[in-house]
Amino acid sequence: MTEVTHATGHHEAEHAAPPQGWHRWTAGGWLRALWMAPLFAGIGLGIVLFFRWLGHWHPLFEWNTIVVVAFLTALPLGFLAGIGAFDYWVRYALGAPTQPEDHSGHGARSWKDYFRVNTDHKVIGIQYLSTVFVFFIVGGLLAMLVRGELARPGLQYTDAQGFNGLFTLHATLMIFLFIIPAFAGIANYVVPLMLGAPDMAFPRLNALSFWLLPIAGLILVGSFFAPGGPPAAGWTGYASLSTHQPMGTLFFNMAVQWAGASSIMTALNFLVTIITMRAPGMTFWRMPLLVWANFTTSLLVVIATPFIAGSQFFVMFDRILHTHFFDPHHGGNVIAYQHIFWFYSHPAVYIMILPGFGIISEVISVFARKPIFGYRLMALSLLAILVLGFSVWAHHMFVSGMASYLRVPMMITTLLIAVPTGVKVFNWLATLWEGRIHLQTPMLWALGFISTFVIGGLSGVYLGAVPIDIHMSDTYFIVAHIHYVLFGGAFFTIMAGIYFWFPKMTGRMYNETLGKWHFWLTFVAFNLTFFPMHLIGTQGMPRRVADYAPKFADWNFFISVCSFALGASVIIFFYNIIHSWRYGPLAGDNPWRSLTLEWQVTSPPPVFNFDEIPQVVGNPYEYGVPGARHALLNGARTHELEEVGH
Amino acid sequence: MRVSRGAAIQLVLLALVAGGITTAVALFPRWLPLEASKQAHRIDFVIWYVTIICIVIYAIVVGLLSYSVLHFRAAPDDESDGPPTHGSTRLEFAWTAIPFLIVTSIAIVCAIVLARNDSAGATPLHVDVTAQQFAWSFKYPESNSVTSTTLRLPVGRTTVLDMTSLDVIHAFFVPEFRQNEDVVPGTTTHLVVTPTRIGTYPLICNELCGLGHTTMRSTVVVMSQADFDTWVKSQGKATATGGATGGKAVFVNNGCIACHTLKAAGATGKIGPDLDNLPSYAAHFHQPLDVFIRTQVTHPDTFHQPGFPTGVMPHTFAALPKAQLDALIQFLIASSKGGK
Repeated sequence: MTEVTHATGHHEAEHAAPPQGWHRWTAGGWLRALWMAPLFAGIGLGIVLFFRWLGHWHPLFEWNTIVVVAFLTALPLGFLAGIGAFDYWVRYALGAPTQPEDHSGHGARSWKDYFRVNTDHKVIGIQYLSTVFVFFIVGGLLAMLVRGELARPGLQYTDAQGFNGLFTLHATLMIFLFIIPAFAGIANYVVPLMLGAPDMAFPRLNALSFWLLPIAGLILVGSFFAPGGPPAAGWTGYASLSTHQPMGTLFFNMAVQWAGASSIMTALNFLVTIITMRAPGMTFWRMPLLVWANFTTSLLVVIATPFIAGSQFFVMFDRILHTHFFDPHHGGNVIAYQHIFWFYSHPAVYIMILPGFGIISEVISVFARKPIFGYRLMALSLLAILVLGFSVWAHHMFVSGMASYLRVPMMITTLLIAVPTGVKVFNWLATLWEGRIHLQTPMLWALGFISTFVIGGLSGVYLGAVPIDIHMSDTYFIVAHIHYVLFGGAFFTIMAGIYFWFPKMTGRMYNETLGKWHFWLTFVAFNLTFFPMHLIGTQGMPRRVADYAPKFADWNFFISVCSFALGASVIIFFYNIIHSWRYGPLAGDNPWRSLTLEWQVTSPPPVFNFDEIPQVVGNPYEYGVPGARHALLNGARTHELEEVGH
Repeated sequence: MRVSRGAAIQLVLLALVAGGITTAVALFPRWLPLEASKQAHRIDFVIWYVTIICIVIYAIVVGLLSYSVLHFRAAPDDESDGPPTHGSTRLEFAWTAIPFLIVTSIAIVCAIVLARNDSAGATPLHVDVTAQQFAWSFKYPESNSVTSTTLRLPVGRTTVLDMTSLDVIHAFFVPEFRQNEDVVPGTTTHLVVTPTRIGTYPLICNELCGLGHTTMRSTVVVMSQADFDTWVKSQGKATATGGATGGKAVFVNNGCIACHTLKAAGATGKIGPDLDNLPSYAAHFHQPLDVFIRTQVTHPDTFHQPGFPTGVMPHTFAALPKAQLDALIQFLIASSKGGK
């Protein structure tokens, strides 16, 4: 393994003299977080009590305000300050002499380095992926509870409010704590390597964006212990239901802020990295499509995410500051909430699928041994989806009572998005044509993705067509559609990406047989679980109900049984990944014979990725082109690359 | 990309198999509920139009995908690369332009159907729909403002529903009508229905409205014009009678039965406290029964009943006309005493 000497040297020196005695409590880390988090919470509590006392407001202990200020804002800030996420900036802001960067917080030498503020994009990528799978398990178990409740008509083990909490948290965790950050994790690991960069543009900001994520997740999971239970207004949190719910809704409002801030910071980081840190010769038209996908996704995140932040602040203010944004009896407008919410949440649909498109392009090209068909149109179609994606939000509101003239123009833009999406699907199919197709696990997930995502896309055409949407709105057809695009779409691409880059991230190979079992079990159980939902939805079964008409009982029982098989399939994945991470055979630098830059360095890559910044000389997918090269690396690596090229 | 004759035949066969299976899935189970309105008929036309297009597209995709996997699969030890095809302007133009034309045709069909479905004609019947947690009520302003908790409509007459909500967003959904629209506080939304078939259909609240959302159901009864007229007359008389039955009508019409149990009203709701136990609740909070009932109706959660969540009962009953409110409270006092 190649390492940069001054970093290693300093690190060893630091290990020789770790902070001793009470210094252990003042140096950034878990011990300092242990006292700073409660201290900040206490300060937050003090501020609320002081102002309430000053204003003679009763009661003095108003728990809605205290929870928001002390526990959902100050306490996490104290934790972040404690583990040292702000140390460098605080010293800078206070005018203290800046410490020369010694890279002691960079890279991982032991498992402990994954549990502290670390500025290495590869460590942060692993931190992201490990964290999101923890919340994936929680969200998945909630889904199992939802299906258990729905296995038979009538109430089994939840009451109505409890059931509303289950599906609300299932969706919230899966969207904000799994799909979006899982893509951020994969991109964090892969994008700088693909660009030929030593790291992200802002490594400290990168570390901070990661640490905001477990905060958001713990707030959501913690909402189970809130008086009145977890948020129960659906992940869409429509006002004015959400402004009249028990305290759990505040946890939802604030968790979205933390996760959103994390998203925005990461997106800014990707944008600056992609624009400014491309290796010499890496023009935009030579970037791998995963980089293109994350470029467009980051633009979506930066432009759209402030809108959901605003919508959740307004809901929270209606509750704790007694504003009337969404109170129709005092000049508020409940439909305004939906416009603001969907102005983020529709682009968010693309935030949750464009990075997946990028992963699929990488996998299909490598495993079909052919250049991506229509590379430029593939990149341009991403940009087309980006632009169109901002003009379709009201298709979630065809039956909301909004101005009815908006429906036809929004329908036209919605249906038009099928065009660039169709271009991508047909270009993938053309890439497969006459290829040398190898059906290893990542490719199975990629091909499985195409077959299921097309169903999700076509059901989207039904929902985009206003007259059909009027009948299908808020039925199980919607549940089927969203799971075909987010499970059959986003989840399948995440799986393709994890299996594809697992050898690069860990240096070891996963078990191919188990990977295939995982795919086939998931693929079959997924379709058996979600396809029948189209049928019961069309027949008129509404979503978000704990109880349903007896005529839907048989299908619901069938769906529940299949969903448990789907849940069980995940066990194979976790066993495979954890076992192979420790005991798998060594993978080598480039097991897939890929041309992109991340495969031209060791597995796992050295701390600063490249001994010398590579020179990019050609396109990234030149499979089958005699003598073609993507990049020149220093010394022996150039030689290896030549061999691959020939 | 040259495709030989044999390959083309195989490709078409695979696509036909995929299309055949998809068509069977579309035809075999009964997907659509009964068609009970003019609007439903037009919407079903759009559904089938889109379905045919989708089956063709899906058959092409699955045909290409399965053909590629079957024919271009490489042996595990095959390290060769495929032909370096970078693209084809002609093909890429084709699969940009053709989908564009297809979605344009869908948009045109939809816009026409939407315009027709939204048009109510010159003399529609107007019904005021009021939704609240967790009940529906319907008022017929053209028939002496008769009110009802089930929606009764004459067959064949175009009806405009003018809908509003007293608290949060609800949605009016009758699958057999294929009509669905949110019922929003602070504004009036409209829905046009022309029932074509006499019968009884479920009315579902289709927007998450809180813990009683699942139970917020009612029925739509479509009847002949003669039956409808008779019903309107009989309802007019019932409204005129007062006393305990008047209080009971207020109780039923305002949706109290959706959440509460009260023997005298035949109510069996489980979301809120059991109103047959009102005297013991009042005693628990050391309140006279009449004061306790009035306070809890007009200012819910003043006294918090353990075991039930707060913030659920609507605060809208304070706005009931005084006569109705008094009748309701007298009814509750009388029936809860009678129940014990």
